[in-house]
Amino acid sequence: MRRLGQFVEIIVGAAFLWSGIAKLLDPSAFLSAILTYEVFSYKVSVIASLGVPYLELCVGACLVFRVIIGGARLLAVVLLVLFIILLSQAAMRGLDVDCGCFGSSKKSSEAGFFWPIARDVIMLVGIGLGIVAGVNANGNREK
Amino acid sequence: MKSVREACVIIVVTGLCGVIAFFAHPKAPAFHVNELEVELEEVLRFEEAFWIDARSDEDFEKGHLEGALSLNEERWEEQIVDFLDAWNPDAPTVVYCSSQACLRSYEVAERLKAELGVENIFVLKGGWEKLAEVEIVEGANQ
Repeated sequence: MRRLGQFVEIIVGAAFLWSGIAKLLDPSAFLSAILTYEVFSYKVSVIASLGVPYLELCVGACLVFRVIIGGARLLAVVLLVLFIILLSQAAMRGLDVDCGCFGSSKKSSEAGFFWPIARDVIMLVGIGLGIVAGVNANGNREK
Repeated sequence: MKSVREACVIIVVTGLCGVIAFFAHPKAPAFHVNELEVELEEVLRFEEAFWIDARSDEDFEKGHLEGALSLNEERWEEQIVDFLDAWNPDAPTVVYCSSQACLRSYEVAERLKAELGVENIFVLKGGWEKLAEVEIVEGANQ
């Protein structure tokens, strides 16, 4: 169980790394994607366009290389919940958004909101599995 | 509690990287873009305007403002020749892209300013969506 949890977390970490690198290659494209959500002001979006990719890189690297894992799990959960909320509100408002999940992509009215939300939920479950496996492993060690 | 402390460490590292990227990343977005922005109502008061469409070629072909010239980052080298042939330095140059969220018009305007010294240049606030809203063009095709 512990090994499965670690494996799934490494996969999730790799996805975060990929996502962070894709966004860092073109922060302006990612900024455009954030603005399509019509939630944040321009200045907040500029900060997010440079901050979120590095946050994803750090979280991804920590999950893959198994360092400061508790903080990385916490931030991964916060990020994924935030992404799910942003995508859901855009879907409910019928916005024509660019997901921006892995850099700039197609507008979600064309590509659909289902897959980006489902992907985030799957990653959230992966982190949950890692947490449960970690807790179980610690419990067994204490016994 | 340990996890929160660790998360704070990651956030601090991220913040530092973000600040460095803001100053060093070649594609870092500008923090202030409003100085180039102009409302459509203001543009309509200009005696004449030289329109630039910064959207993709595909969008331009679907529909564009009459008289607008296509100029985008993807085909800059080819299209800049047409721009120089057609450009009227006496008229204000107004660049538009698909919507308020689109940044292509800012990139094109900044590049024209920096590379060709075009001073009298503006970015249309709201872009193509605004033009469609007031029915200057037919339908937003984004």
